[in-house]
Amino acid sequence: MKKTAIVAALTLGLAVIGASLGWHSSATAQQKLSLADMSANSAQWVMPAGDYANIRHSALNDITADNAKGLKIAWQMSTNATRGHEGQPLVVGNTLYFESAYPNHVFAINLDDYHIKWEFTPTQDAFAVSVACCDLVNRGVAFGDGLIIANALDGKIYALNADTGKIQWKANNADPELGQTVTSAPFVVAEKNRVIVGVSGGEYGVRGYVTAFDLHSGAKVWRAYSEGPDSDTLMGSDFTGPHNAGVNTWHGEQWKIGGGTTWGWYSYDPKLDLFYYGSGNPGTWDPSARPGDNKWSMTVFARHPGNGHAVWAYQMTPHDQWDYDGVNEMILADIKVHDQQVPALVHFDRNGFAFEIDRRSGKLLLAEKYDPSVNWATGFNLANGKPNENPEMATREGKNTKGICPASIGAKDQQPASFDPQTGYFIVPTNHWCEDYQPFASKYKAGFPYVGATVKMYRGPGDYGGALIAWDPNTGKIVWSDHEHFPAWGGVATTDGGVAFYGTMDGYFKAVNTKTGELLFSQKMPSGIIANPIVFSHGGKEFVATMSGVGGWAGIGLAAGLTNPTAGLGAVGAAADLGHYTTLGGDLTVFSL
Amino acid sequence: MRVLRLIGWALCAGAALTLPGSRPVAASAAAGAPLVFCADPAYMPYSDRSGDGFENRIAAVVGRALDRPVQFYWRSMREKDEYGEFITATIQAKKCDVLVDVPYALGDVKTTRPYFISSYVFVYKKARAYDVTSLDSPDLKRLKIGYEGETPVQMGLKQRTLILGSKLFLTADNESASPQDIVAALESNKIDIGLTWDPAVGYFLKNRPDLVTVAIANTRSQGYPEQFTFPMAMATRVHDAGLNAALNHVIATHSSELQAVLRQYNISFSTPTDSGE
Repeated sequence: MKKTAIVAALTLGLAVIGASLGWHSSATAQQKLSLADMSANSAQWVMPAGDYANIRHSALNDITADNAKGLKIAWQMSTNATRGHEGQPLVVGNTLYFESAYPNHVFAINLDDYHIKWEFTPTQDAFAVSVACCDLVNRGVAFGDGLIIANALDGKIYALNADTGKIQWKANNADPELGQTVTSAPFVVAEKNRVIVGVSGGEYGVRGYVTAFDLHSGAKVWRAYSEGPDSDTLMGSDFTGPHNAGVNTWHGEQWKIGGGTTWGWYSYDPKLDLFYYGSGNPGTWDPSARPGDNKWSMTVFARHPGNGHAVWAYQMTPHDQWDYDGVNEMILADIKVHDQQVPALVHFDRNGFAFEIDRRSGKLLLAEKYDPSVNWATGFNLANGKPNENPEMATREGKNTKGICPASIGAKDQQPASFDPQTGYFIVPTNHWCEDYQPFASKYKAGFPYVGATVKMYRGPGDYGGALIAWDPNTGKIVWSDHEHFPAWGGVATTDGGVAFYGTMDGYFKAVNTKTGELLFSQKMPSGIIANPIVFSHGGKEFVATMSGVGGWAGIGLAAGLTNPTAGLGAVGAAADLGHYTTLGGDLTVFSL
Repeated sequence: MRVLRLIGWALCAGAALTLPGSRPVAASAAAGAPLVFCADPAYMPYSDRSGDGFENRIAAVVGRALDRPVQFYWRSMREKDEYGEFITATIQAKKCDVLVDVPYALGDVKTTRPYFISSYVFVYKKARAYDVTSLDSPDLKRLKIGYEGETPVQMGLKQRTLILGSKLFLTADNESASPQDIVAALESNKIDIGLTWDPAVGYFLKNRPDLVTVAIANTRSQGYPEQFTFPMAMATRVHDAGLNAALNHVIATHSSELQAVLRQYNISFSTPTDSGE
């Protein structure tokens, strides 16, 4: 009883502070802080993906397909960090918040006069730098009940007073010494008082998990592992899938290093009270060493945020042989699939297939290639949800399998797509690389541990590196496609003005017509873009903001200073000419008409 | 504890019935019954028949903690080049019950929680002051490299075409080789820098302040993951859950003694911390 009283008092206190800061425009909002309601106000961008459904769409319509060519840079600032910037700012009230790449500076900027309200840089375990897999990226802060939640690379979670930047609480979600880091954005379900945080590091013997912390206190509430017995994976009695598959689809103890990390974009359906996220690749890159389906790696999960219990889980790539992490954004949209209206979850997976799933039940409705070059499978069996695999593209110990499409970076990585309710299209930034893949035995050779694999990536057929595409979810077909020289590693935002915004690794920020893909506007930026644009208004004027600062997996060669890559190796080789187009350096740029 | 003891006795009885005439096997968790460790009789610094290896000392800590006499079942890890053969012929064959130094989640056995984390390292003369932190460090291109074969460092060197002209050491394949050989090669300037597993070489650097080690960073610079840091654990047979739990308890309650042994053998390590468990 005492606890409840304290929480109530805290909530009230925060509500009062919130009201005094002008976060809420109505008296009802002050009584019950609802993040969902706040996200409906298109002046703000209060969640990393804009709203719980992850559609990254703004109802603002001052910038249109007709006038977008008149966009100008309104203001800019340096992030004081040089590595890959994969995140996006938030706008809450009159303040813009963003987090840089490592060392993870967090800034609060007053939009009235651009002065820095506060700045926060965590003290970090520097060891995290050496275990971070794909550059030292960060995917942004989250907001909830007067707090800015910021994840640091070393796994610490900071809850900062949104007004002062003062630490309200601090929690721990990873151990860099075990190869664990945190690069993803926290996911706040404010209505359920939860901060949900994933983990990175599937390559270095991590067993993936998501942890829920109490939004007010930072106390750990539950943790759900991707592998292990039902008691670890939190599959309750109402779970619709097979029980204890997190152990019995593995050989021996392999599930303990089962991978299945959780570093992508989460979404939430308040009506069903389910949140959705994906798990990454199974432990070692050597598939011969881990026979079985390796559940629940490569899986879409639907869980209750309150207790973490899973309702359904769908594994997209059983027994992964290509590192096709299933972590990409889970977009919730009520759409027609084969002319049937359905509350859907739409997910463009690394494995090159777009999955359209009934988000109530997990039933697979459609799975189609969104890059024609995909060749590891010919399609999916909708009845049992399994891929029809192409045996020629299977990988195994000691064999160099050539010409696999997509490459391990996927037909799309974490760079999030947007759903445009006006056209009904998903606007999707994609990669177009293929690869040769050779796994090596994982073993312990009289005192010397070893795991490994080698991969050689190169541009796919047609000699382009990526594309921005429009996807019709009803038919499962590409409507239009704009090719890019490099993987389109930046996310997308769409607006009711009929415009889609995105940035490219060679350093252009672009606006295109959502209906046709026609280029409307292009601005060369200080560095390549792997971040996600947001749209907000201030003083009645519409703004579009993005960070630039190249890096990430596809840009690791440049980011890590590998200026003289050995030809044809991994991502370094495929993006070896990136240095001819751009250099490192983080900044925030805001555009307006 | 009472339950464990009963199960232990039952297992003991079972073993005696099915293996008449064989030497008693300590599958028991009962206090007082000997606990048998699998070890190489001549592979310093790991283990030695005289009890001088760090695995011997770790075994002693475990034995004391469980109040059970320590016995060793000796077999070379290196006479066949697969560690898997060693496992099959020792712990799987119930000749012994515990391994104390295996990578966490190694297959075919049940590992405990990791009790230390170590790394492949660069070893070189301190006076040379090389700037090396990863296999991508430019200094490596101008150095004469010695490396332990069939390890992640070998693959890393190969992928960066640094392997040509580098000197191969195959300690794990050859009973007459020692992890010390790479140190001797540094001493005689046959190589400028050695790449090997820290726990293998640390012991031989104990009185060598002129030599320095630097951990090789895990990286994804080549596109795919390269892992040079590994959590290390103890292990039992897969179904020996009682003994496995007992070892986990020892790891939880005797960490300072276990770490003292590692330090005594000059192993650079970190310990897994609680990541909000």
